[in-house]
Amino acid sequence: MHHDQGIHLRSVCKTYRGRGADVEALRDMNLDCAPGSFTALIGPSGCGKSTAMRIALGLEDYDTGEVRIAGHPPAAATASGVTGVAFQDAALLPWRTVARNIALPLEVLGRDPAKHGHEIAKLIDLVGLKGYETALPGQLSGGMRQRVSIARSLITEPEVLFMDEPFGALDQIRRRQMNVELQRIWMESGSTALLVTHGIDEAAFLADYVVVMHANPGRVVEIIEVPFERPRRNELYSAPAFHALCDRIAKVLHGE
Amino acid sequence: MANRAGFLRSGTFRNLAILILVWEVVGRVDWIAGGALPGLSEILIRLWADRGDYPGHVWATVQASVLGFVIGNLVAVGAGILFVLFPTLLRLTRGFNIAVFALPPIAIAPILVLTLSGMAPRITLAALGVYFVTMSATVVGLSQFDTRAADVVRAYGGKDWMVMKLVRLRGAVPDILSGLRIAAPNAVLGAILAEFGGGGRWGLGTYLLGSLGRGDPARLWGIGLVATLIAGLSYLVFAVISARTLGSSRSVTLNTAIPDADDGAERSLPLRLAVIAGAALLPFFLWWAFIKLTGVPDLIAKTPLGVLDYLFLSDTSHIARAKLLAALAETLPITAIGMLAGLGFAFLLAISARMFPGFIKTFMPIALVTQTMPLVALTPLLVLILGRGTSVTLWITISVTFFPAFVLLVQGIQRVPQSVLDLPRAYGASAWTELRMVSIPAALPYLFAATRLTVPRALLGVMIAEWLATGTGLGNLLNQSRGYLDYGMIWTVAAVSVCLSVAFYYAILLIERRTLTRLGMQWVE
Ligand SMILES: Nc1ncnc2c1ncn2[C@@H]1O[C@H](COP(=O)(O)OP(=O)(O)O)[C@@H](O)[C@H]1O
Ligand SMILES: [Mg+2]
Repeated sequence: MHHDQGIHLRSVCKTYRGRGADVEALRDMNLDCAPGSFTALIGPSGCGKSTAMRIALGLEDYDTGEVRIAGHPPAAATASGVTGVAFQDAALLPWRTVARNIALPLEVLGRDPAKHGHEIAKLIDLVGLKGYETALPGQLSGGMRQRVSIARSLITEPEVLFMDEPFGALDQIRRRQMNVELQRIWMESGSTALLVTHGIDEAAFLADYVVVMHANPGRVVEIIEVPFERPRRNELYSAPAFHALCDRIAKVLHGE
Repeated sequence: MANRAGFLRSGTFRNLAILILVWEVVGRVDWIAGGALPGLSEILIRLWADRGDYPGHVWATVQASVLGFVIGNLVAVGAGILFVLFPTLLRLTRGFNIAVFALPPIAIAPILVLTLSGMAPRITLAALGVYFVTMSATVVGLSQFDTRAADVVRAYGGKDWMVMKLVRLRGAVPDILSGLRIAAPNAVLGAILAEFGGGGRWGLGTYLLGSLGRGDPARLWGIGLVATLIAGLSYLVFAVISARTLGSSRSVTLNTAIPDADDGAERSLPLRLAVIAGAALLPFFLWWAFIKLTGVPDLIAKTPLGVLDYLFLSDTSHIARAKLLAALAETLPITAIGMLAGLGFAFLLAISARMFPGFIKTFMPIALVTQTMPLVALTPLLVLILGRGTSVTLWITISVTFFPAFVLLVQGIQRVPQSVLDLPRAYGASAWTELRMVSIPAALPYLFAATRLTVPRALLGVMIAEWLATGTGLGNLLNQSRGYLDYGMIWTVAAVSVCLSVAFYYAILLIERRTLTRLGMQWVE
């Protein structure tokens, strides 16, 4: 087991025991994200991507196996503030302003938000929401809300960043814009990132490694390295090498 | 001001104007019961003449209501938070909660006067009136929270109380506010009932009681009007506040996560039985503890054992039992008949609402206003009109069950999507077929809920009428026992009426769950 700043899941099994049938969400799941790397987790809906991430965040118990986040068990890692998280839904508190939503993790961790006013302002600027500091979530568009959630995931200056389909609710054009921004933000932060997605092009554009999962039971079937230079630009989407890689991922994904 | 103009043109306004006009004419010519219904202008003139009396009485009632409202709600919100954090606690206090909900305030007003002093009985009764409503609103509000936002808090190592503080409490504010809105008139009613129950020189209840024998209908109507106004205003204040805050509390997107399968229930059978037994015994323990804590002498304050002793063991117990049974024989049938009639009317009117949409539209606001009226202030007026016979009891019972049942039923039927209602029509079904296939089944769960919820009100209505007007039944027994200083009987009537109310509540609950389960329907909380 590695005890570095990365994300490590070793032989993790997880079965949801419901009233009726049991669901084997993960069987013998292994995942290693090296410190400072960007990993994309891709697979069909219901293959256990979210479950793996929730286990890594300590939101879900697991039956057997071992999990280390930045060298610690999940609960200890999250409580010490080394992790950041953005979910598929922005999940903003509707009664808090943009700035106060971004400050939420600080309050949970018992840090004084007033002392982080400068960082909050910087993050708002970084995600392009300058001027919206005091807006309520209800006044923002879906894309803007998602950017607030990205800013919130970065406020603790996390060494490990988790994202579960953060742009799932956005249209293709917005998503590509956000992907470019996310890459820039991540490169500036230097953190270890795990992105759950079901978009092949999104995974190939952002990640150093694409981890492909299959369902029933949920497991990792292949890890594909992405060789493209950083920073990657929008032109990459039309490069033949990019298409070849996407095709390869798709083949693995569809079990060919 | 398009809104204002719309209101002026609307049917509600027109009907209100017609109602007031008819009232004025009928009152002026003394048509009803020899002037028992004065015209509105006569009432207002009387109000003006009595203007010196009102400030003191209104102030006393408002003071007790506000204090009771604040204390009751603080306890209710605190209890709601504890119940959500520790569900076992909620199950353990179920008996107590239902008892507080079901107790007819008039029955315990005398025992509060016996055990507490000064303003305390009024404040306590007002607080009891708000506790259940706010507590359940708090529990509902805290239970329905955004699980995604809670995940964010937990993902940073936040514990349950952190989720409570940052996500659930603020999210429950709209629910709590709508609870407060319904609770506010209850506080006023509770305070007035306690004023009836005894003591004190000031208060609208005292004023009403003192004016009862003067044969001055305009004064009684004036007091009723002022009491209704206070209760209505308190409702309005919270209606406005909740309309203001609602906007910023609603989640921006829809939460599609399935809430955790709730199996907070105790696993082992012995533990479950212990909780049920505890829930049944807790109210009696609290009763006992209340008496011990207030330190009132045994002669005046009866513990549960004291009541058992009075009813079954003492020398005079056979007399007490006979009196109680005679009173029950008078009270229960009329309660049942009044309730059945009130619920029946409400049901018929509600399911035929689709045929007369215009009628419902104008009638609904009136029905909603009656929800905030302090029932007790209106009883003397009905007595004036209907006399002191059985019919007045019946009418009071019918009206206290009809209006809430009607509101609940109409709101329930309105939840049925229009497309479902239109479907039978689209296949050429007759109005009757449509009633049978859609409206009646849709209304059934709400009829059960209405029955359950109006039991305590019906009993309260009957007892108030008996106390103030007919001189029969439980209400009268309670009033008489106060005069005879028959403390055992006062406690007995209070205990028996609360137990009956709770028993009826559970009996209906049982029938409801059985029937609806068999029909494959959902029940309404
Ligand atoms: N709380 C839960 N209770 C029961 N089953 C669950 C729960 N959460 C997820 N599952 C099941 O586990 C499997 C994996 O789910 P998930 O991790 O959400 O998949 P993904 O994110 O890859 O779409 C699915 O079959 C899903 O139905
Ligand atoms: Mg998922």
